Amino acid sequence: MADKNQYRYLTKTGLKSLINGLMKDRVVYGAVKKDGFPAFGRITRFEDLELSQTPTHLSAKEFFFPQRECLLKFDIPTGAHEPVVASQGQAVIGLHPCDIHALNLMDKVFAHGTSDANYLTRRADTVIIGAECFPDEYCFCSSVETMNANAGFDIFLHEIKSGFLTHTGTDAGRHLLGKLTKTVKASASRIKELDRLKKKKEGAFKTRLNAPAKDLPGIYAQSSDSPVWGKIGAICYGCGSCNNVCPTCCCFDVKDEVGANLKDGLRVRVWDGCTLEDFAKVAGGHNFRKTRAERLRHRFNRKFRYLTDKFNALFCVGCGRCSRACLVKINIAQVTNELIAESTITKNR
Amino acid sequence: MPQKPKVAFFSFTCCEGCQLAVLSCEDELPEIIKDVNIVNFREAFDQRSEDYEIAFIEGSISRKDEIHKLKKIRAKARVVVALGACSSTGGLNCLKNLYPMEFVKKEVYGKNASRYPRFDTMPVKPVDAFIHVDHYIHGCPIPKKEFLSVFTSLLMGSVPVMANYPVCVDCKMAGNICVFEKGMTCVGPVTRAGCDAICVTYGCVCWGCRGFVDDPNVASHEETLKRYGMAHSEVIRSFNLYGERKMEPKAASMKSKTKCR
Repeated sequence: MADKNQYRYLTKTGLKSLINGLMKDRVVYGAVKKDGFPAFGRITRFEDLELSQTPTHLSAKEFFFPQRECLLKFDIPTGAHEPVVASQGQAVIGLHPCDIHALNLMDKVFAHGTSDANYLTRRADTVIIGAECFPDEYCFCSSVETMNANAGFDIFLHEIKSGFLTHTGTDAGRHLLGKLTKTVKASASRIKELDRLKKKKEGAFKTRLNAPAKDLPGIYAQSSDSPVWGKIGAICYGCGSCNNVCPTCCCFDVKDEVGANLKDGLRVRVWDGCTLEDFAKVAGGHNFRKTRAERLRHRFNRKFRYLTDKFNALFCVGCGRCSRACLVKINIAQVTNELIAESTITKNR
Repeated sequence: MPQKPKVAFFSFTCCEGCQLAVLSCEDELPEIIKDVNIVNFREAFDQRSEDYEIAFIEGSISRKDEIHKLKKIRAKARVVVALGACSSTGGLNCLKNLYPMEFVKKEVYGKNASRYPRFDTMPVKPVDAFIHVDHYIHGCPIPKKEFLSVFTSLLMGSVPVMANYPVCVDCKMAGNICVFEKGMTCVGPVTRAGCDAICVTYGCVCWGCRGFVDDPNVASHEETLKRYGMAHSEVIRSFNLYGERKMEPKAASMKSKTKCR
């Protein structure tokens, strides 16, 4: 939570000045409505921005790790090749606390080992403006400690009746706020209004996990033979929607695309998903995770255990996007609660 | 210098739209003809040749004499590529199979149709019902980029990659809102992607022109469609527009394909 003294009051017109100012020298993306549903999209006028209380359809990861991007250009006859890092000054507006936590996790992944220049350059070129949210039936960030974000954004907006209370996470954010718009110190009554809204949000979660976040890796470690996997594996399509909407799923495939002249080409990377049939298929045709049940178990473990062991943080941020997108209603919180119920860890407590 | 490979395009029962899709690669064709000799291509020129290594075959098989022609092509070509939905899965033509052959003949050629052998017809089948097919390019019509990708792979000596994941992947990549959320239904969750979900992106739904993925969860999708208010007969119809698809759920290891019976 931000220090109370840090809150600055920004009017709606003030926000317009800020966004217009950003648009002068950056490409601005933000929360919009697509076919009536919350999504991220390009903002070319302030009016395009429609901050949403509930999560967007896809996460904001595409602005740092796009669906498809060129990594390398090559020329076969000469063997010449050059890396491609396509990045531009951009701003993304309207990330919720869960999205910001997800971005912080992606930062760890893409900086791990050989750091990923494409991702990290885009991240450095981006201004992040977060926005407060309100849970729907699928959200469960309060159970995975991602309900509030303290870092990973430049400016954060809390909408109140008369405008916004803002706080900043970086010097760049403070500088932009000072340069592009006008804010005043937040009055006690406005801070009180924000406290009331925060309390209301905390009480509004319909979905909660029945175990503390720190127990989840252990619970998942015990769950390998659970009947839950067979049950959800039977109805799963293996369509990868959960992977693609997830803000922390960052697996990709790399392909070489040769031009019609059979001389030059591009090495591209595209999103891949561990629930897809061919994900764990290797040369010779062997598939390490042949069944949908095995692939789901793998995905869930990636969120609550494998990456947690590696990076010391849960990789599920509780946004509920995968549950929302699943046509057969596989719900990540329900599945986890079933595993919690089967586990001895919570029973022994 | 090694000889350029000879490439032939053949057409069976279809609208020849997939050959047109090939012709629409205006930017790439000048490069392609530097690499290969195209010796048969009815949509583009008159000359014909019986000497070729790579055969692209569009269209489904709906007459006995087509089987004979098809087998001759297979005997000559080193590589056979099925070009488009009709050739790969039977395509829209399979709708004919829902009716008795005498009925469809009369419907198209009039009440005296049975008197003329040239109007003889049979239930429609994809080409691999009769010959071995090495590679498939799906879609109605084929996407240009997929044709180019298969073509360059063949010339480079690499294995062409065929998408084996549902259209949902392409739809999410395109940033589309799911048609089910918008109160419509589609068969994308069991249909092979590779089309960039072009139909959904432009406001339509997925009709399944590319056939099933290798391991579709048909039973699950049947349940979903019913949950969204479709009657069983409507579910069958939505599966069968582009070739009659087998409705039994498949074991995970089994390959299931969209095929005309």
